[in-house]
Amino acid sequence: MNRKAVLDYEEVRRLLPQAHPFIFIDRVLEFEAKQRIVCRKNVTGSESYFPGHFPGIAIMPGALLGEAIAQAAALLFVLSDDVPPEENNRLFVVGTTRTRFLKPVFPGDTLTISVEVVKLLSSSAMVKGWVEVEGEKVVTSSLALAAIDAAELKAQKRTLARTRVPQEVSS
Amino acid sequence: MTTELEKDITHMLAEVVEMDENQLWEKRQLRFVDELGVDSMLALEILALLEKKYRIQIPEENLLDLVSLQSTIDFVDQKLKQRVA
Repeated sequence: MNRKAVLDYEEVRRLLPQAHPFIFIDRVLEFEAKQRIVCRKNVTGSESYFPGHFPGIAIMPGALLGEAIAQAAALLFVLSDDVPPEENNRLFVVGTTRTRFLKPVFPGDTLTISVEVVKLLSSSAMVKGWVEVEGEKVVTSSLALAAIDAAELKAQKRTLARTRVPQEVSS
Repeated sequence: MTTELEKDITHMLAEVVEMDENQLWEKRQLRFVDELGVDSMLALEILALLEKKYRIQIPEENLLDLVSLQSTIDFVDQKLKQRVA
């Protein structure tokens, strides 16, 4: 049996800051540091979002296909980084995105998620990504991601909370 | 806007920062980040667009040269002249 994989699900799970049920990569099939990555996700009828999206017909939400591309990009970034994954406390946030949804994704589809680097800086990256099902493109996207230290993000959240409360009280 | 380069870059950047071209041109000396609300992600997008359109390489340290529309035009102009030379 041909089971080509650079990284399996356990490794993907260890590298991504997200956790179940918000991991949209099952496997990494191909990888070239600072250049490109190809990942796979199998979509099943048991995905947590299908009961709601939609009750009459199960369609994978486009936003989650965008998330799958962003997670593939995050893996490409982490794997290309000089910082060992264990010491990496950074989260990846999408800054800008231009995405086209070409075809719907249904349970039973196998997604091939590809990401190529357009420009890689020390703490941000511009990438283009696309998702294919049986060789046909279902989503194309161009996005900019920033790597932010998790502690820094938490501090920002606290600052925001502090500045928001008085405004709410005064209004 | 007189030269082709000025027109092209203003057009391209106006789309990224979601501003009217003429308005952006009037504000060409203003700093993107402090005065036009551009964040690091948009700056990265501008960088990638310039690299693609003009087939130039812009290293990370040159991000500081792209502080305003005018400085961006000057930077690209210089890069293109270097290439011809």
